[in-house]
Amino acid sequence: MPRSSATPRATPDVGLRPFPRGVGPGAAVLACPADAAAAVSGGGASGIAIALFLLFVSATLGITWWAARRTRTTKDFYAAGGNITGFQNGLAIAGDFMSAASFLGVSALIFSFGFDGLIYAVGGLCGWPLVLFLLAERLKNLGKYTFADAVSLRLAAVPIRCMAACGSLIAVVLYLIGQMVGAGKLIEVLFGLDYSLAVSVVGGLMMIYVCFGGMIATTWVQIIKAVLLLCGATLMTWLVIAQTGYSFAGVFATAIERHAQGPAIMSPGGMVHDPISVISLGTALVFGTAGLPHILMRFFTVPDAREARRSVFFATAFIGYFYILTFIIGFGAIALVAGNPAFLDDAGALLGGTNMAAIHLARAAGGELFLGFMSAVCFATILAVVSGLTLSGASTISHDLYANVFRRGTGDDRAVSISRYSAIGLGIIAVLLALLFEAQNVAYMVLLAFTVGASVNFPLLFLVMYWPRLTTTGALLGGILGLTTAVACIVLGPTVWVEVLGNAQAVFPYKYPALFAMIASFSGSILGSLFDTSERGKRERAAFSDQYVRSQTGLGAEGASGH
Amino acid sequence: MEHIYREIHRDPRFHELERKRGRLSWLLASIVVGNIMWYVFATAFYPEASFARFWGEPIGEGMATTWGIVIGLIQTVLFIVLVNYYIYRANGEFDDLKDAIVADATRTAGDGK
Repeated sequence: MPRSSATPRATPDVGLRPFPRGVGPGAAVLACPADAAAAVSGGGASGIAIALFLLFVSATLGITWWAARRTRTTKDFYAAGGNITGFQNGLAIAGDFMSAASFLGVSALIFSFGFDGLIYAVGGLCGWPLVLFLLAERLKNLGKYTFADAVSLRLAAVPIRCMAACGSLIAVVLYLIGQMVGAGKLIEVLFGLDYSLAVSVVGGLMMIYVCFGGMIATTWVQIIKAVLLLCGATLMTWLVIAQTGYSFAGVFATAIERHAQGPAIMSPGGMVHDPISVISLGTALVFGTAGLPHILMRFFTVPDAREARRSVFFATAFIGYFYILTFIIGFGAIALVAGNPAFLDDAGALLGGTNMAAIHLARAAGGELFLGFMSAVCFATILAVVSGLTLSGASTISHDLYANVFRRGTGDDRAVSISRYSAIGLGIIAVLLALLFEAQNVAYMVLLAFTVGASVNFPLLFLVMYWPRLTTTGALLGGILGLTTAVACIVLGPTVWVEVLGNAQAVFPYKYPALFAMIASFSGSILGSLFDTSERGKRERAAFSDQYVRSQTGLGAEGASGH
Repeated sequence: MEHIYREIHRDPRFHELERKRGRLSWLLASIVVGNIMWYVFATAFYPEASFARFWGEPIGEGMATTWGIVIGLIQTVLFIVLVNYYIYRANGEFDDLKDAIVADATRTAGDGK
């Protein structure tokens, strides 16, 4: 039975199940709530959380119904008709980026390591200015529904689309598994639902959003969730500051007092010690962002390059603000949660693992009511992010593979129905994989998603826009090299080779392979193109000039559908 | 469409546009990359390297806040300001120039048909 928040709870039965777990640096933020199989509200979910969650679900289903009535054309389905404004799209992009993983994970890292947790915030944020300065408007001017449109404009469409689709689908599925497992664990804990039921609920809802509402519904679900998360985090920060004397310095000072490492948490060097790993992690964060298909797809929902630019401004501002809040929340968790026996197990570790730091803090700072609110917000966050991922995967299958490879030139216009089937298919696959990987530490999958983004999608996109000599042969070679390097380094690295497969020594010594995979990908593309003397290669180089004018002016680009 | 592209490519103003906008993009991008590299390297080489050591020092006697935190905060604000500046230039002056180029090229190409 849902308990009323006003009912005083008997402390012992709050039932904070002890589930201590060591946190691996970096693993936390990406895997995030994945490992958070922890108890916060014990036996039953809080009534507030359930009520707010049901409210959110009914609101989003209402939006889906409204969106379904407005989704008439292919363009409506894939790109919300190109009618999303820069401000709305900025919120949606920020929403895609502010996953439960980044909220719970970054605050968990700060909770554990202090200052170094900030690298995820600064690293993740700085991808956005780079996307704006180098990619956004060209991408918008060249593409239609997916980033594969932009890269296959002057290169051979069939092989390049297949490769881009491959990169996109791998990134999407890996990210999806990470989010689904995390969602299942989090919901199991917060709402007391059985894991398999929780995962099925998430899978079912996301299929409904995507199938019926397409991009319009997905965008609005994302916007609502972004607003909720920003408000929740703001309120939480305010509550934390209120408890430490209304000053940021007060939060930091209390945190230093409470943390085992004392003042060291305010300086770098707590988390990752080896320079190559730090640099490789930075590479994954910065360039992985610019290669995630569900984020790139958002640039096609606005009418023109001008709005595409504005959306990056709003996205950057919201994400920056959000990370500043998360940073304070992380230190607030040290200050208010770390020293509080109610949140610790017998060994002194945080109940439910460090990923629960922000959730515990919600309770410490705002009581049951606020805990319920933040739980519902985290759930909404997961739901919104998995919908975005599913839509992007479904578009890749139907638009890139079905319409432009398998049924190329047949005038087959069933792409939208295919993408509905794909969304259902992806949803089922995601639920099954989430059940299969329930017990796994999914950190490496999500890490691989970022790495695939940084080493397959980003180099391809960047070179096709900036390097006239790039040819199909080079692009394929680069993509294959990047992907195999990424997979090989992950499998042979410490996370899989040692921790999962149980070998004594990692063949590849670094935890973060993005730097190496990206170098492999760029070298492959460049060498492959330079040695390509084929006729096709010549034509492709000659086509750069037209593509360049289009990318600079937007002439011939897709605009809004105007209804 | 191709003949309009060619027309634009012949327009010296188009090359002025790409030069100006390209220079600004790369300048701003290198500021961002420089900042993140400073951040990443400071984290990687703290506390040995001199460019990293002061990151852990408090901003004042007996204060909890360190320079590293202040720098992280300033960088966040800086990124937002740079983004805003780029958009101010791109959505204003560059887009005006682009519109003029496209309009002229479309007219010329149209006449030539």
